[in-house]
Amino acid sequence: MLRFLSERLLSAALTVIGASAIAFVILRALPTDPARLIAGPFASEAVLNEVRTQMGLNKPVIIQYFDYITNFFRGDWGFSYGAGKPVLPLIVDRLPTSGELALFAFVAAFVAAVLLTVLVSYSRSRGLDGVLRALSFVSVGIPPFWISLLLLMLFFERLGWFPGPTGRGPVPAELVTGFFTIDHLLAGDPGKALTALWHLTLPGIALALGPFGYLVRLLRANLLDVVHEPFVTVLQAKGVRPVGVHFRHILPNAFLPTLTAGGLILAQLLGGSVLVEQIFTWPGIGTLVIDGITRQDYAVVQSFILLSAFIYIVVNLIVDLLYGWIDPRVRRS
Amino acid sequence: MLKQILRDPEMLIGIVILSVLVLVAVFGPLLWRADPVRVDLLNSLAPPSAAHPMGTDDVGRDVLARFMWGAQVSVGVALAVTLVGTLIGGLLGLLAGLVGGWVDLVLSRIMDAILAFPPLILAMAVAIGLGAGTMSAMIGVVLAAIPWYHRLLRGEVMRLRGMMYVESARALGASNLRLIRLHILPQTLSTVLIQASSVFSFSIMTMAALGFVGLGIQPPVPEWGAMITEGLTYSLTGQWWLGVFPGLGIFALAVAGNMIADRLRDIYDPRSGVGA
Repeated sequence: MLRFLSERLLSAALTVIGASAIAFVILRALPTDPARLIAGPFASEAVLNEVRTQMGLNKPVIIQYFDYITNFFRGDWGFSYGAGKPVLPLIVDRLPTSGELALFAFVAAFVAAVLLTVLVSYSRSRGLDGVLRALSFVSVGIPPFWISLLLLMLFFERLGWFPGPTGRGPVPAELVTGFFTIDHLLAGDPGKALTALWHLTLPGIALALGPFGYLVRLLRANLLDVVHEPFVTVLQAKGVRPVGVHFRHILPNAFLPTLTAGGLILAQLLGGSVLVEQIFTWPGIGTLVIDGITRQDYAVVQSFILLSAFIYIVVNLIVDLLYGWIDPRVRRS
Repeated sequence: MLKQILRDPEMLIGIVILSVLVLVAVFGPLLWRADPVRVDLLNSLAPPSAAHPMGTDDVGRDVLARFMWGAQVSVGVALAVTLVGTLIGGLLGLLAGLVGGWVDLVLSRIMDAILAFPPLILAMAVAIGLGAGTMSAMIGVVLAAIPWYHRLLRGEVMRLRGMMYVESARALGASNLRLIRLHILPQTLSTVLIQASSVFSFSIMTMAALGFVGLGIQPPVPEWGAMITEGLTYSLTGQWWLGVFPGLGIFALAVAGNMIADRLRDIYDPRSGVGA
């Protein structure tokens, strides 16, 4: 186990180095002037020079890269001239806002995908299976920013069932977790918690569709694989009831890849809800990043790019370790 | 092969959707002669009618004409991206699988590092680094797609290299080049084809997303993603036609690509379920 652990840790460390090198090359070493990217299109020559010294752009490239990666881990993520603030607190402040939406979308996608796929597989109905497959194709192929627009037009403008693109709803009296639904409940106001949930629903669905379709396809394929394994035939021959075979034996054996994919999807949701947040004016990291792009205030964007890779690597590592812990075969190979 | 496709409804639907949109992209602008960039302020935000079957946008441009030119742009760019990505990623995968050793080790590390970025974010980063525009957006999408090919082909080649018939050919004195050309490359074709269909869908979606945030193809070129952005402003005041039609195009192409990929996979490799 110790060897497995150190191997995986080393591998993750190497990926961090590689990913940061890629981000560095793309954002620092390409022909565009990095100081101009940070300071904005209207900065004066004096400010540009100041930024250049601050970023160490006059040092050798290797040293620059070294500074870049150490600064990232020291929490020095640069200064956003657009917001007039350092980048780190800007992003950290919005973490719970994006986290609540991502988590909501993830739970919705995961629960719906597992429930539907398992039930359809248990029913053995070819018709239902066809519907589920069609549903998965549609949800994977639908652009999240377009479905956001359709959802808003239908459920807000036409039917008025859900709130418009106005962010998260009323702010709780006291911010404990930063999740509005939970904070309202803690403040003893279930009505407002429900409003917060209402605001989460449309952007949550828009974000959840892609992962939902992907998880359905994955779990369905794995279930089909396991159904044909010899041990299933043996169980049936021994007279184990179909419910038992399906839920006690087939499902656990087919579930592991879905769990893995689930972890990685959560990591991507945390960094990937950029467009949907923008449309619903959800005041999270995604909106911050898009604003940064349109205002050409790239300090935030650059940190976000590296951060999203970092989150992905860490989640990947955790999933890998869990996998090795659950399944001894993985550990030994 | 052809019979199998014709008997398979999903494959057929995918191919029909794809062909229709390709026909629209190629012949649409020839048949519907409206100018996609001609501003007509007196006629702005007109709902769909006989003169403008998809209505007009906020400056009076014909949405149908823009849709058709947008199809041309999207399909053209997606095909180019898929082709280049397949070539580069495929070659790297072949190289890694055949040479092995430290070349494979280094390549795999680099690919892992690329895979750590969410694909859209990576494409965004490249578009920012190189300056917003068609070319940098395309390079970003290609870069995001390369590791998928690399990983797939590397595995395929390593599997094939150990096969009895390849070893026999080598024992009979076949050169490396001959082995690749006659015995390995043809066997990987189905894998490449499947992956290419998925990448086509991915490219359609990602280019549109980049256009949507203003990092992709620049106006006034009609591009579906940017058209949705323009439509966003009017989506909640009743002018639905601005954003709905271009999105429908993206959606149809993406679904068609995924369906074809999925069915190809079932036909060639019935054991595996899902891909990238």
